[in-house]
Amino acid sequence: MAMISKPAVARMLALALCGSVALGCNRPKIGHPAGEIQVDIESSPTSTDPRFATDAISSRINELVFESLVKIGPDGQFVNDLAQSYERPDPKTLIFHLRHGVRFSDGRKLTARDIKFTYDSILDPDSMSPKRAGMKELASISAPDDYTIVMTTRHPYAPALEMAMQGIVPAGAPLPAAAMSAGPVGSGPFRMLSYKRDESVELARNPFHPAPPEAPGAILFKVVPDPTVRALELAEGQCDLSENNIEASVLPWLADHPELRVSNTPGTTYKYLMFNFRDPSLRDLRVRRAIAYAIDRQAIVTSVLHGTARVATGMLSPENWAYYGEVTDYGYDPAAACRLLDQAGYPARHDGMRNLRFEYKTTPEGARLAEVLQAMLKRVGITLNVRILEWATFYGDIQRGSFQLASLQWVGIDDPNFYYMTFDSSMTPPGMNRGYYSNPKMDALVRTGERTLDLAARRQIYQQVQMLAASDLPYVSLWWVDTVAVMNRSLSGFAPYPNGSLRSLADLTIARPGAIEEAARR
Amino acid sequence: MTALRRNPSLAAGGVIVLALVAAALFGPSVAHNNPLAIDLTRALAGPSRAHPFGCDALGRDVFARVMWGARLSLGISVSVVVLSLAAGGLIGGCAALAGGRIDNLVMRVVDIVLAFPGILLAIALAAILGPGLVDLAIALTAMGWTGYARLVRGEVLSLREREYVHAAAALGARPRRLLFRHLLPAVAGPVAVQATFGIGGIIGAEAALSFLGLGAMPPTPSWGNMLDAGREFLLVAPHLTTAPGIAIGLAILGFNLLGDGLAALAGRR
Amino acid sequence: MIWYVLRRLATLVPVALGVVTLTFALIHLVPGDPVVAMLGDTASPADIAGMRHRLGLDRPILVQYVDFLGGLAHGDLGESISYHQPVSRLIAERFPATLELAGAGLLVAMVIAFPLGFIAGAKPGSAGDVGSMGFAIVGISIPHIYLGPLLMIWFSLDLGLLPLTGRGGIPHLVLPAVTLGTALAAVLARMLRQSIIQVRDSDYMRTAVSKGLSPTLALFRHGLRNALTPVVTLLGLELGGLLTGALITEIIFSWPGLGRMLISAISARDYPLVEGAVLTFALTYVFVNMATDVVYALVDPRVSLR
Repeated sequence: MAMISKPAVARMLALALCGSVALGCNRPKIGHPAGEIQVDIESSPTSTDPRFATDAISSRINELVFESLVKIGPDGQFVNDLAQSYERPDPKTLIFHLRHGVRFSDGRKLTARDIKFTYDSILDPDSMSPKRAGMKELASISAPDDYTIVMTTRHPYAPALEMAMQGIVPAGAPLPAAAMSAGPVGSGPFRMLSYKRDESVELARNPFHPAPPEAPGAILFKVVPDPTVRALELAEGQCDLSENNIEASVLPWLADHPELRVSNTPGTTYKYLMFNFRDPSLRDLRVRRAIAYAIDRQAIVTSVLHGTARVATGMLSPENWAYYGEVTDYGYDPAAACRLLDQAGYPARHDGMRNLRFEYKTTPEGARLAEVLQAMLKRVGITLNVRILEWATFYGDIQRGSFQLASLQWVGIDDPNFYYMTFDSSMTPPGMNRGYYSNPKMDALVRTGERTLDLAARRQIYQQVQMLAASDLPYVSLWWVDTVAVMNRSLSGFAPYPNGSLRSLADLTIARPGAIEEAARR
Repeated sequence: MTALRRNPSLAAGGVIVLALVAAALFGPSVAHNNPLAIDLTRALAGPSRAHPFGCDALGRDVFARVMWGARLSLGISVSVVVLSLAAGGLIGGCAALAGGRIDNLVMRVVDIVLAFPGILLAIALAAILGPGLVDLAIALTAMGWTGYARLVRGEVLSLREREYVHAAAALGARPRRLLFRHLLPAVAGPVAVQATFGIGGIIGAEAALSFLGLGAMPPTPSWGNMLDAGREFLLVAPHLTTAPGIAIGLAILGFNLLGDGLAALAGRR
Repeated sequence: MIWYVLRRLATLVPVALGVVTLTFALIHLVPGDPVVAMLGDTASPADIAGMRHRLGLDRPILVQYVDFLGGLAHGDLGESISYHQPVSRLIAERFPATLELAGAGLLVAMVIAFPLGFIAGAKPGSAGDVGSMGFAIVGISIPHIYLGPLLMIWFSLDLGLLPLTGRGGIPHLVLPAVTLGTALAAVLARMLRQSIIQVRDSDYMRTAVSKGLSPTLALFRHGLRNALTPVVTLLGLELGGLLTGALITEIIFSWPGLGRMLISAISARDYPLVEGAVLTFALTYVFVNMATDVVYALVDPRVSLR
């Protein structure tokens, strides 16, 4: 039983009422069936159809239910999934050879026909699938036999394998608009038992998918929006695992519970501060650099994030094959910031403030970071007006490029071609270059990078891209967010993914119930 | 003095409200710490001599923030109540005096607003106007005026039938004079009581709206947004919620007691 | 009686129309777009335009409004943009949970308020009065967003008595219901006290007491009905607050109710779902108030049903 921590002083009433606290009350164990584990998630998945789901939580759950031609492994590299092997006979063609004996959870065989169907139903303009845009480069997909898929792209397209990460549904699966039930079946390690919106998603083993003997037989994803309540559910042993949704300052409190384990893995989620280049003063490199120098990123990581992030040098994290870290670094240096602002023609008035006011838009969840940035920029004389918007309004404004400063994050950057999508001058809104950044040198580099298939040559190109991005500062790189998992000690073998994927839930081992009690009593 | 002794609610409520007003007026100068200055090294620090209520997640002094928050929370609730009262009183009073179709129409509008979920109104206004204090005041007023409209209408309708009003009208008093000389003063009592309760209610509503991400914008401290920001740290730093929680409780308590006291005073008359 | 109810039902129509119109206007005035929220980052302008056309969002706003009213007249609330399902089905799925929570909150409020109100009202100025009203005033003073997590920490983490979240049996309902009901309990108790004191001082009670009945007995035998009438009205009016409180309680306790769905529908700019959910809340409010008026008439024979 956890020792009562300091804040418990605030709970004197409870102590007075219950003498048995220190001895460990008999909690009403909300019994999960044997072999079922509970994972708390912060919001409800929006879609159980992998052809439509784009939000992180839907994707994480769908990865457990559906398989794709290739997937991203824990080390960030592509590994085969439905494909047994693949080849690239020419720069525009990819041929996948499929594994034999794969079955959907309803027993049907998975063949190349199902794969072709899945892609075709996304590419159909009437599908209105949000995934369609990501497959712009896909010229055709064909299934010459049951175990071969041939994809061709319009141009030589380096990140083509990213298009092969689409979860596969059985041929004939109706679109969600017409589907009434829990969504299509998949061939992944689990099948979906129930989907209760805003409440829970329940998965059970796919009987046609091999599973380790001690692995969980079922997973209950429970939707718990309140962060304090998620921590409480872990502390009470009702929730077995929770990833990336626990407030960092609560982690030490959870770690004090002997039955819980907190694991911290370097992650790839990239948090950045974005400038809008349509603003004349932000177009001045000296102003952008001054802002970068004024932000004490290390202090924020240490004190606000309690060390659950790494100060970033660029979009790609050190785990990425194309990562290059020898770029311009902006350590905390308010004096340098002030010098740059003086040079840029924004002298400080007698009260220390300068004629620089920016509007910073954010959501309620981002309020704390906004307040830190506001206070830090004030030290160098820049005024930040924070506007907290409800999410849809905020997102709409960002997508339209209607902001001056904003910080956001990119989740799951795999291929460095992401630089093309965010920094190329042709990708301005509705594209993802929302700050209207434009530099012919950057354009030339990222466009070559997209068409170059040779890995060594690509690495060379993106080395230059990363150096240019750091010196030109379309974004101030803030940090890479760690993957933080809090789990019950009865679970072992959970391997956190840097991108936050929950795939390894399929390969966990659950200790026998007796052993758990034993461990908890100690 | 004896009146106060016979009316303990009025006394206690008065003292609490006066203390809060004093805190709002003079607190910021007593709390010498800057409520906006962050110091990340003191994040979540517990109460100490330098920081009697501890520090928040960004190392800001909670005591100073509660004192400054008093200004905002009290200011906003008083102005919302005044606005609601002015709008509601005018609409309700006119409806009652006009009677007939106009009265009927106004009361249907009141029914619609009463039935409308206020939260949606607040979210929509925040999205249209951009969240902030003005938006908060408009949203709370848009929800709050109906109560006063109903009250004033009811009072005026019943007063209109009283003899002295009849007498005044018979003596040739003009409608405007009737309204200002005779009706308004008589309505003032019950309205004052409801307004006092109303201030407490608005302080609570501000906390609820902060929970939904509406209300005062950072770094401005209000009790509602402090309480909401502290909720995440309830397990590790309960002092973040205790101070604004007590402040909100005390304010609601004070205004309710004062309202009780005023009601008792009005009843005795 | 029948006529009265029918007439009240007739006034429902303008109120519902007003609420629907107000909702429609507000949600369309709010910036943001359901299609952008749904198709996400990478959608091409052509895709976005196609989807808007498909959902009929590219038509003039007045046409959309008339179309919506037309559907409503046939009892059709349309199809949710984000869930691809009929709005009526989604509401039928979620509203029972909200009603269950609100009902339990109301029950908690009454269970707490009635004894306190009677104790306080029976002997104003006594220790019982001061204690009861002290509780009431504290109850009013604690915001839901604070009370909910505190109750969880006390009764679930420290005492281990009750489950934290979710919807299940009675144990799951206790903490959310207490969170929701406490403030209402406090208001009710004060109202009850007031009204009992008034009844106690009335002439017919004095007569009853002078005939030799004990004051408490007299109160129970003759005064109870009269004391309860203002409380019934208050309950109806407080329902709006109860539903709003339920929304916050639903978020804190992960309760799968309509309030949470409304919030996420607003966020996704799911116009039909927002309109349907708001209409549901508004009609509930109006219906309950109508019912309290009818009950009022039954309880208090002096009220004539015009």
